[in-house]
Amino acid sequence: MIDAANTSMSSYTSPHPRIYIRRALSHQPPAMSRFSEPLPPLARASHISHAKHALARLPGSLVNLDASRMAIVFYCVGILDLLGALQDQTSDMERVSWQTWIWEQYAIGRYGTGFKPGPFMSRSSTNSGHDSPHIIMTYTALLTLSMLRDDFARLNRPGLLQFVGSCQNRDGSFSSTPNGGGDSDLRNLYSAFAICALLGDWSSIDVERAIGFVDSCRTYEGGYGQLPSCEAQGGTTYLALAALHLAPPGPRPRLAPAEKARSEHWLVHSQDASGGFRGRTGKAPDACYCFWGGAALRILGAHDKINAYAFTQFIASCQFPFGGIAKAPGQPPDFYHTYMSLAAAAMYAPRVELSARAYGQWDFTPFNPLLNAREETVRWARSYIPARTS
Amino acid sequence: MIPPPSALYSARQEWADVVPLPQYEKANPLAPILYSEECLSFSGVDRHTRAKNPPDRDATDYLRAVVKAGEKSERVLQLTEHVIRLNPAHYSAWQYRYETVVEIQWPLDAEIALMDELADKYLKTYQVWHHRRLILTLSKKAREELAFVANILQKDEKNYHTWAHRQWVLAFYNDDALWAGELDFVDTMINKDVRNNSVWHHRFFVVFQSGVRDGEEDRERVVRRELIYTKQNISLAPNNASAWNYLRGVLEFNKLPMSTVATFVKPYTVPLPATLVDLVDVENPPPGKGAELPCVAAIEFQADVYEEEARSASVDKAVELWKSLAEEHDTIRKKYWEYRIQQALLSV
Repeated sequence: MIDAANTSMSSYTSPHPRIYIRRALSHQPPAMSRFSEPLPPLARASHISHAKHALARLPGSLVNLDASRMAIVFYCVGILDLLGALQDQTSDMERVSWQTWIWEQYAIGRYGTGFKPGPFMSRSSTNSGHDSPHIIMTYTALLTLSMLRDDFARLNRPGLLQFVGSCQNRDGSFSSTPNGGGDSDLRNLYSAFAICALLGDWSSIDVERAIGFVDSCRTYEGGYGQLPSCEAQGGTTYLALAALHLAPPGPRPRLAPAEKARSEHWLVHSQDASGGFRGRTGKAPDACYCFWGGAALRILGAHDKINAYAFTQFIASCQFPFGGIAKAPGQPPDFYHTYMSLAAAAMYAPRVELSARAYGQWDFTPFNPLLNAREETVRWARSYIPARTS
Repeated sequence: MIPPPSALYSARQEWADVVPLPQYEKANPLAPILYSEECLSFSGVDRHTRAKNPPDRDATDYLRAVVKAGEKSERVLQLTEHVIRLNPAHYSAWQYRYETVVEIQWPLDAEIALMDELADKYLKTYQVWHHRRLILTLSKKAREELAFVANILQKDEKNYHTWAHRQWVLAFYNDDALWAGELDFVDTMINKDVRNNSVWHHRFFVVFQSGVRDGEEDRERVVRRELIYTKQNISLAPNNASAWNYLRGVLEFNKLPMSTVATFVKPYTVPLPATLVDLVDVENPPPGKGAELPCVAAIEFQADVYEEEARSASVDKAVELWKSLAEEHDTIRKKYWEYRIQQALLSV
């Protein structure tokens, strides 16, 4: 398949000026076929300071207008959580101030309560309908608060349920904001399911209709597209499979055995000879798809059918010398790829014997592929987010 | 449309009647940072997020003010355009812009013209495509839209949003005249890059997943056409996962056994013979000169054909092929092939 790989690589590094700069920065990884070599060390300290730096950096010029800050906060706090640095290497004061900022994005509106991506449309602590919570940001905020071990005393559960319900469309899909507002695709549906799972309450949405929508996104390749009739893609395939497995049991199995086998087949074939995963058939591998494809296989119970060593080695080779992880070797890092890569490694890095534990090892605590957080964080979320019965 | 104003809104006479509303932020803000392209559709972070300067803040202060006042006017279009150019993922600005377009009955052609420019600029931003879809639902100019998409695809032939948009236009208007040119379009795109999986996927959508159109009622004929088309493309470029996946998809969708194409597959599972047969067999086009054989996808396909036969002798043949994949031709998937061997042996 060498010819196929070459073609996709050449279209991948398009003649864009930035690419040349990146090339100049590039530190070429060792030849990818040498899977017997020891893994390059996990640059734990660099990744931690990379994330901490971003969370602490507060110049006024960066404050404005950002529609995605909650996601960045999720990735940075998530990096610290995955690396076990949140309790030891940040202060109580820092963690409390991060919680406070997140709660300030909590909005109470006509359609219930949830979290906004940031304060960019806020005029006061109440909203108008043009300052609505966002369903993806609400999911990330709940997880981030769980990483920070928030007690969720401020959470209005009926309001949250109402918000999630108000984002559902007639075809079963979910929009990012209530009442058909914003784009609608599997990202929003997954977020809605994750929120319901965390609340332990599915009463405000039509689960079966939503499942029908997920099914309509399935493609002949065995993956799922972002919308019905769209091409199979690693990210949306994860979202679909995770949603099907988060959902409460239905009248029939969520995935027929033949469908499961076909999905497995497509996902396993997403692993490139380099060990990395590609997002779509024929494209170049990218560290974030190691997470999406890898987590999807975990969910299917098929994680032992890929080359986990090559997988981890690909991620290791995407580490940037000054901290952070990039989508591919020699590229500049960002928080999204850093978080996703570490989460992927947490699921697949070869287990380190207790006696062999040392600095630089790819050593992680158990990770929950369905909700995308450490098991311990998910346990916290599941015990503090649902309504208290006492 | 009107270019975004250069002066601060606070310094402009025509905005003197509006009292700007600053952003409300109490706690220590948690900061964002410059983001890079690709995969950002899943990161939740827009690729155009960047450091902001005072004019941006000025514009959003006025946006908050007009939203609060409920003003819908031409100058609000100007203002939302400005905010969107600064931050194309600003979903509230998009939403308010849409409501304004509807309320003041702004010419939809003008809106689409602006969207043409913004789609080109912010190709990977969800909101750009969502707004475009809302406007098209009103304007109903589907034919022009397909031409626009075809043009935009020239710049990025695998862009996910663009393909999704084309599929939406076709399915939403579902007009015979629109569908009529679609297979030719697919053909042109496949000829440009036979490994573009987005096009193969689009072909499947057009042929099998969007209803049966005039001239396509004879499904047997359609399936035969698709099989020949795929086989021909495989013969031109055997190591093309997209075409093999399509072949599997056509068979499975039409409930045909994999052995349907067994004769075709066989020559691709072995090294290229020294002398090529010069026979033209439309049903079974042989590998062309210079083909890199054996082809991994063909070996796998052949193994599935054997497995399908479900006789112990044929399973043995399948196992042999899977072994060759695990040990030689596709070692990265060694564990998967071993699993297939194990499963097949269990079921005998």
